[in-house]
Amino acid sequence: MKLAADRILGLALIGLAAFAAAQAANLQIPFSYEPVGPKAFPIVLSVVLAALSLVLVFRPGENGHWPDKALALKLLAVLGVLLVYALLFTRLGFIVTTFFAVLALARLFEATWLKALIAAVLMSLGSFYLFTQGLGISLPGGYWLPDFT
Amino acid sequence: MFDFLIDGFGVALSPLNLGLAFLGAMLGTLFGALPGIGPINGIAILMPLAYTLGLPAESALILLAGVYTGAEYGGRMSSILLNVPGDAGAVMTTLDGHPLAKKGLAGPALGLSAVSSFVGATIAIIGLTLFAPLLAQVAVMFGPAEFFALMIFAFASMAVMMGKDPIKTAIGAVLGVMIAMVGVDSGTGVLRYTFGMAELYDGIDFVVMIIGLFAISEILLMLEHANRQDAGDEMPPLGRVMVSLKEVLYCKWTMLRCGLIGFIVGVLPGTGASVAGAVSYTTEKRLSDKEGTFGTGNMRGLAAPEAANNAAAAGSFVPMLTLGIPGSGTTAVLLGALMLYNITPGPMMFSERPEVAGGLIASLYIGNVVLLALNLPLAGLFAKVLTIPRWVLVPGIAILAFAGVYQLHSDLMAIYLMLIIGVFGYLLRKLGFSLAPVILGYVLGGLMEDNLRRALSISGGDVGILWQSGISLGLWIAAVLLLVLPWLLPKLLTRKSLDGA
Amino acid sequence: MKFNSAFRHWSSLLVLSGALATGTAQAQSDASECIAPAKPGGGYDLTCRLAANGLQETGLIDKPMMVSYMPGGIGAVAYNHVNGVRSDDPNLIVAASTGAAVNLALGKFGQYDADEVRWLGALGADYGAIVVKADAPWQTLDELMKDLKTQPGKIVFGAGGTVGSQDWMKAALTAKAADISPRDLRYVAFEGGGESLAALLGDHIQVFTGDMSELRPHLESGKVRVLASLSEERLGGPYAEIPTAAEQGYDVQWPIWRGYYMGPEVSDEAYQEWVNKLETLSEKEKFAELREARGLFPMSRFGDDFDSYVKDQVAQFKQLADEVGLTQ
Repeated sequence: MKLAADRILGLALIGLAAFAAAQAANLQIPFSYEPVGPKAFPIVLSVVLAALSLVLVFRPGENGHWPDKALALKLLAVLGVLLVYALLFTRLGFIVTTFFAVLALARLFEATWLKALIAAVLMSLGSFYLFTQGLGISLPGGYWLPDFT
Repeated sequence: MFDFLIDGFGVALSPLNLGLAFLGAMLGTLFGALPGIGPINGIAILMPLAYTLGLPAESALILLAGVYTGAEYGGRMSSILLNVPGDAGAVMTTLDGHPLAKKGLAGPALGLSAVSSFVGATIAIIGLTLFAPLLAQVAVMFGPAEFFALMIFAFASMAVMMGKDPIKTAIGAVLGVMIAMVGVDSGTGVLRYTFGMAELYDGIDFVVMIIGLFAISEILLMLEHANRQDAGDEMPPLGRVMVSLKEVLYCKWTMLRCGLIGFIVGVLPGTGASVAGAVSYTTEKRLSDKEGTFGTGNMRGLAAPEAANNAAAAGSFVPMLTLGIPGSGTTAVLLGALMLYNITPGPMMFSERPEVAGGLIASLYIGNVVLLALNLPLAGLFAKVLTIPRWVLVPGIAILAFAGVYQLHSDLMAIYLMLIIGVFGYLLRKLGFSLAPVILGYVLGGLMEDNLRRALSISGGDVGILWQSGISLGLWIAAVLLLVLPWLLPKLLTRKSLDGA
Repeated sequence: MKFNSAFRHWSSLLVLSGALATGTAQAQSDASECIAPAKPGGGYDLTCRLAANGLQETGLIDKPMMVSYMPGGIGAVAYNHVNGVRSDDPNLIVAASTGAAVNLALGKFGQYDADEVRWLGALGADYGAIVVKADAPWQTLDELMKDLKTQPGKIVFGAGGTVGSQDWMKAALTAKAADISPRDLRYVAFEGGGESLAALLGDHIQVFTGDMSELRPHLESGKVRVLASLSEERLGGPYAEIPTAAEQGYDVQWPIWRGYYMGPEVSDEAYQEWVNKLETLSEKEKFAELREARGLFPMSRFGDDFDSYVKDQVAQFKQLADEVGLTQ
């Protein structure tokens, strides 16, 4: 079933092209100083994309291996960690979220608990001070910090 | 006539300024090597610092120019080692740089790219010293019509990247152009594909795009590799660490050619290191990739974009110093620094403040030597990054991606967007797409649309403007030749040999 | 909330140990912050730095003010952020300018309008300028306007903003002053003032509607001619020679104020404290130096005065946008 992926992709891209063209066609333009306007490029591109995707549907190419179920779950876990990292990034601040993100990622990449803990402590503190002190980049301190000064 | 340069070396070689050039080069390399944090951030962060420290104008400029050139050196490192471009100019460096690292040649790849960077930058600095005022006149002749023709040429030269799967390359490029359409339309102010989200008004940021496409998808691919025994994707042990003279000589013409291309692209206002890398890589592939090994770890494929992006960085000083017009986002920030010191860039600067103009140019020479001296011997050390276990490397990439995007946007939406683009990039890579056409489409497509529509605004809709000037006509002819020759030449040659027989 | 407090103590310990290690506390709890709603290096960055450096150097704040960047939506992202997430933060100010007022008028800030934030004050201003190349046939604004009236299609305007942006507004108002509909203008939108200026020097456009401060480096070079300054009165210093549009008989003014706003739920005390701080700052001699180094002209409007100024301006822009058919 290697070939199916390209077919699905082709159909999905045709859908995307149709959506993009419809969006562009509905743009409300007050006025434009040139004949091309903001609609032409997206619509032409959508047509090209649809045509190319059609070729893909009928003549699919080679794909790589798709992950099996166990690996797919792990991939989703990594994405989940990154998503939670993002969700809590400003709320809990850089150091705390980074600590947990590093811990979880290191565990997912098969580090022992001890190694993961060491990495988490060193990397969260180290990178925070490298960025804020060394490079003068501001990072979120966390909204809970003002509460207890 | 080069009095200013001699004076300049006098200024730049003072212990304070030499130290600052060194510091700037080091910091710049660091800023460049960290994905998401590029020369603009480095300069924007250090500029107020230099000003508050009370550094004299020439010293501040030397520090900041060091950061700028250093960042162009640094950007290649994560491209080669992690397959994640360190900054915008280093996107094309991943194409052959990372495959080289996978062959166990990370050390030589880092060394060769340092030499290429040096050669490219040197060509550009010499060009800057000798021809700056002349080039500035040519640069302003590039109006919207000429830029549009240049983009046509660039897309034509991209045809060479079609490779084994032309349909997917083309789809990738179209998707890239479509991503560039998101945001406020620069002609009419109409919002396209923003779905009511203010975060998308300015379009999808380049940094968010490359960090998502490369870094996040790389994390996911690393997980796959870690979990698969059969794949030959494991990093081989590090081989030799130094680049050999033979390898450098193999690339000598590549470096010279691409340094020149990069310089010219850098001089033009509105195009910078990313366009320079793209144009030089595709040109070089056409010229010297006889065996079709570009993209699999060809030394020339690595030398080309590296020579070009460093040359472009130095080239963008030309319009800034001679006309007071920034040639790139970074020089725009540098221009702001000059204004703080009450210095007027332009031809007058060379006569009124020779110590600043000369000092800056001299410091570019010195900084470049410092950077080569710093980067060549340390190549082996940096290559050790590859031996870092994945459980440290992956969280490290994640931290850099998050901190880099966050400091640019102070906004979570940009981080979510980065993650979405990351998943998209992962899927594309699994489906056999190369990411380079997507990035090229994104960079060139937006410029192409803007300049076409600008040209037509000037002419009031008359398309004749697009090939009116000699420059644009030349670029159109070159583009047509690029597309037709590879197809026509073999036919002509076979006919000739048939006739001969 | 036992877990929560334990959690706080534990993490605060981490923060503290780190802070002690480097010797600098980065708790940033009562330190003030200025959001520049753009990428580093632009006009908003400059506006934030003006406040940050000014307040620091005159000793009006004891901890350095943090400047952070929040690009997106020509300021809309920051506007929404202040309205949604940090609406009552007493230590946060956000840089704004005439450009923000234009976007508010055009409804580009989404659901929010000009009444949603507390307008704090303006510390400086820039003014629009009408610029042509040095070898252009027009010596005065009047000559340009007369030519524009007879053949509007022959003279191409260019600036660094889209239709509806504040850069475009300058061109549109100029056209209106010559009794030409902004729709009939030839106008090219570039990416910033630098590109527009390059196009002017390369003869791709004939008129550039830019800002005075960005023109300063070019006044002496003799490559461009500033036909008019869009200010109420002539500007001093290096700009003294440049006549205003009004004195040449065309009523076009375009001041670009550079100021700040705060969240809608900030307490009156905190708001008043900031108003006082900025007002004191604007009177210091040291501040005048800092302002001039950034190419800005004096402008002092604070508190309610500024608030009504901005709201009037937004209403005015709304009317203009309706006239040229920019709003749907």
